[in-house]
Amino acid sequence: MKFSKLFLIALSASMFVSCSNDDEDSNEPQGVYDNGFLILNEGSDVKGTVSFLNNDLVTFTKDVYGPNNNNDNPGGYLQNIFFNGDNAYIISGGSNVINVVNRYTFKLVDKIETGLKNPRYGVVKDGKAYVTNANTYSYMNPETGNTDDYVAIINLKTNKYESKIDLNATANRLVLENGKLYITEPFDSTKLLVVNIATKKLEAPVEIGSKADCIEEENGFLYILRRPSGNRSEIVKVKLSDKSVSKITFPESLDGAVYMDIEDDKVYYTVGNSVYAINANATTASTTPILTATTEGYFYGFAVNDNRIYIADSGNFGSDSKAFIYNLTGTLEKEIAVGIGPNGFYFND
Amino acid sequence: MTLKIRFTFCFLLLCQIILAQHDSITKLKEVVVSDNNLKKYSDSQSVLKLSDSIINKNEALLTDLLKFNSTLYFKEYGRGMLSTVSFRGTTSSQTAVIWNGININSQMNGSTDFNTISGSDYNSVSVKAGGGGVIYGSGAIGGTIHLNNDLSFYNRFESDLKLDYGSFNTIGINYKTNISNKKWSAQIGFSNNSSANDYKYINKYTWKGEQRWNRNGEYNIFTMSANLGYKLNAKNTLKLYSQTSNTDRNTSLITETETPSKYINGFNRNLLEYNGDFGTFTTNFKTAYIFENYQYYADNAINNYTYGKTESLIAKADLGYTLFKSTQVNGIIDYNKTTGTGSGFGTNTREISSASLLVKQDISASWKNEFGVRKEFTDNYKSPVLFSLGSSYQFGKLYNLKLNLSRNFRIPTFNDLYWEPGGNRNLKPESSYQAEVGNVFTFSNITLTQTFYYIKIKDLLQWVPGKNGIWTPQNTDKVNSYGAETLLSWKKQFGKNILAVNAAYAHTISENIDTKKQLFFVPFDKATAAVVYSRNRISANYQFLYNGFVYTRADNDPDEIINDYMISNIGIDYDFKFLETFKLGLQVLNLFNEAYESLENRPMAGRNFNMYLILKF
Repeated sequence: MKFSKLFLIALSASMFVSCSNDDEDSNEPQGVYDNGFLILNEGSDVKGTVSFLNNDLVTFTKDVYGPNNNNDNPGGYLQNIFFNGDNAYIISGGSNVINVVNRYTFKLVDKIETGLKNPRYGVVKDGKAYVTNANTYSYMNPETGNTDDYVAIINLKTNKYESKIDLNATANRLVLENGKLYITEPFDSTKLLVVNIATKKLEAPVEIGSKADCIEEENGFLYILRRPSGNRSEIVKVKLSDKSVSKITFPESLDGAVYMDIEDDKVYYTVGNSVYAINANATTASTTPILTATTEGYFYGFAVNDNRIYIADSGNFGSDSKAFIYNLTGTLEKEIAVGIGPNGFYFND
Repeated sequence: MTLKIRFTFCFLLLCQIILAQHDSITKLKEVVVSDNNLKKYSDSQSVLKLSDSIINKNEALLTDLLKFNSTLYFKEYGRGMLSTVSFRGTTSSQTAVIWNGININSQMNGSTDFNTISGSDYNSVSVKAGGGGVIYGSGAIGGTIHLNNDLSFYNRFESDLKLDYGSFNTIGINYKTNISNKKWSAQIGFSNNSSANDYKYINKYTWKGEQRWNRNGEYNIFTMSANLGYKLNAKNTLKLYSQTSNTDRNTSLITETETPSKYINGFNRNLLEYNGDFGTFTTNFKTAYIFENYQYYADNAINNYTYGKTESLIAKADLGYTLFKSTQVNGIIDYNKTTGTGSGFGTNTREISSASLLVKQDISASWKNEFGVRKEFTDNYKSPVLFSLGSSYQFGKLYNLKLNLSRNFRIPTFNDLYWEPGGNRNLKPESSYQAEVGNVFTFSNITLTQTFYYIKIKDLLQWVPGKNGIWTPQNTDKVNSYGAETLLSWKKQFGKNILAVNAAYAHTISENIDTKKQLFFVPFDKATAAVVYSRNRISANYQFLYNGFVYTRADNDPDEIINDYMISNIGIDYDFKFLETFKLGLQVLNLFNEAYESLENRPMAGRNFNMYLILKF
């Protein structure tokens, strides 16, 4: 029985949670799935799905990938979507594949099928994608499981894997600023990894502490949310120009803060089923929630975009779960059934 | 205690036995069955016995034998891969597999993988429907599957060899030799079943338009058995059963790009048994050592694995006493110590003792009653008092009525209790009350068995995600399972032509009491049929299976189902009689090339072929 595998994958997939990637705007509808947003449903080890909801919060398609592609399987444990031009890149962590689709029609363009091993998150710069890969896990590979993660470099003209950058550490979420990748990982790492994409070399990492996951860039600072177990949550701010570190330490009542997103100079974060916000230049945390959601499971995906707050409910991982859309004052605008294990929102504007 | 099989078999066993033509030869000779209680205490329930001649007509692994010849439903992760059972709408750990009287369900996950067992290692496989907890302990809720090695005590030196070669480079070697006289009996054999298992997925293509096929599906199952019996004298018998097996399987890929993995598991079982038969007083002592282990390689490319293993020591004393001519009593005490070590659950030991009392009363040749009660003692969980009440009444030659009422349970496994993280030491056993009414009609060559059952299960164990993202088992659901099973058998001889028909149909409702939804992976309907025709040295058979659709999700989402399927197999063989038996046979499996799967994205094989040679000498 594959008990251990299924269980551990489910566990690790459930604990690596997702923040959002905001993207560029355009006005003309370029296809059925323009002017709305995609909801990524992690699914099972067998298969995940992608849902689409128009910005009108009415026009909804539960599965936009399979039906547009002869019921092709995008892979198991869908982890992340990143964009480049008209293409969306759907990362399947369970199946070591990235599905390249037209972001407005969801017709399959290509698949990146080599060079990936437990891929996690991707970013794009100058026609190249940089994708973190967890590679092997320590439960299965105690010798090198925590030191073999890498960044795969993919040429987006050919959709082929080109080369990789070994990180000698664990890696999960990443942002790309000024030609550098900044990478966090909440299980084994206490460092912010810094990779220069021109030299493909690691630079000196920044010590930020354990359990750091969500990472965003705003006004020359990296905002990193961490939730050390048995200790206070905090936002670690790393100044890009000199890598100096400052912190907003949360009060004990906000222990276990999981998600963070930055929109219009405001930092939104979640603790349990509540969402809070502070100004980007604030030095203390808010303990007054904007909203408290009622979910079957726990928050599994979170984003703030264009005056709306998006929350994904983990559900029970066995049947379809829900997404909730609130306005910025915390009024529920829409509740909608999506797929299994929704874990992220990606905006097609 | 020995059972001289010179009586006609009980009507309730009729269904499949009539197919076994060779049984008539051995009926008059003494055969010692390995599990006395199976025969003695099953008058009020239905037992389907699949003898070696039926086993030989099926593919090697137990899944195929039971899939095509019983009402059991299997969920298979592809051909030859992990295969779990659902019996009367229950879960895979609510069917107990019994090896020569000993419960061998995994201590780690509670269930048995039916694709790791080859049928030919046993003399017979019996399927007993309904509760059996009083005799067999944990997991005997839906029913019990009995793997039996029976020892013969007559002058015999006989070997059986079956060689198979089939599509996807599927190769089977099954050998058994029986050497016995009136004092000694030995049965020694081995089996090896392997396959490259690289079958094409019917009508499935990759996004590039390439034909998809079963990648990383290779398997190899090796089993060696040695069973010995020695009669010290007319009253005292010693028996030793020993079996070792290793299953080395890759795990089929769902997508071409995922990381190939493999799973190796094995077991070693030893059972020493003493039987004393002193007229009104009988004794049976059993000591067993059972070892099981697995190694899971998440990535074939690196030589690291996670593992689990358990060792069980079982001691059992069964004292029988004949109170009156009509009433027999068995008192059984049982001790079981299991130590498990695994990368997921550390090292833990659990000890379970139990005491049970069984009473059988044959008021007359046509009215039989059974009664049993059992209580387990352990620190690990609170154990309910199990009981069983049964009665069988034969109305004339035509009709036999059976009633059975029982309470059964399934204990938490090592994974449930100790898994890190998430294991829950405060679990209760799953427990059930169940009732059944069986009607057996026998007229001339036809036997029709119809059983209606009702099972109420509470505290169903389920792994659920916690708020912290860690999955943990909970006693969550209550389930009502009810349904009807119909078994039909018919046999007729017209001159040199022998025709036999067997059919089974099960209708199953298995409903979560709170949500009113059907349990996922429980089909409402399943039907099987087999027709065997033989004339002189030629024998031909046809098998049919219909499996109704199943929901794949707890909420019965109508878009998330696995479609129903119908599978047909045909086979023909000819006995050249170069030896006592020299049969050459050919089978066409999945004759109509049905594209089907029993689990989503796990396609099964299309039409395929098997050739076999059966030698008896």
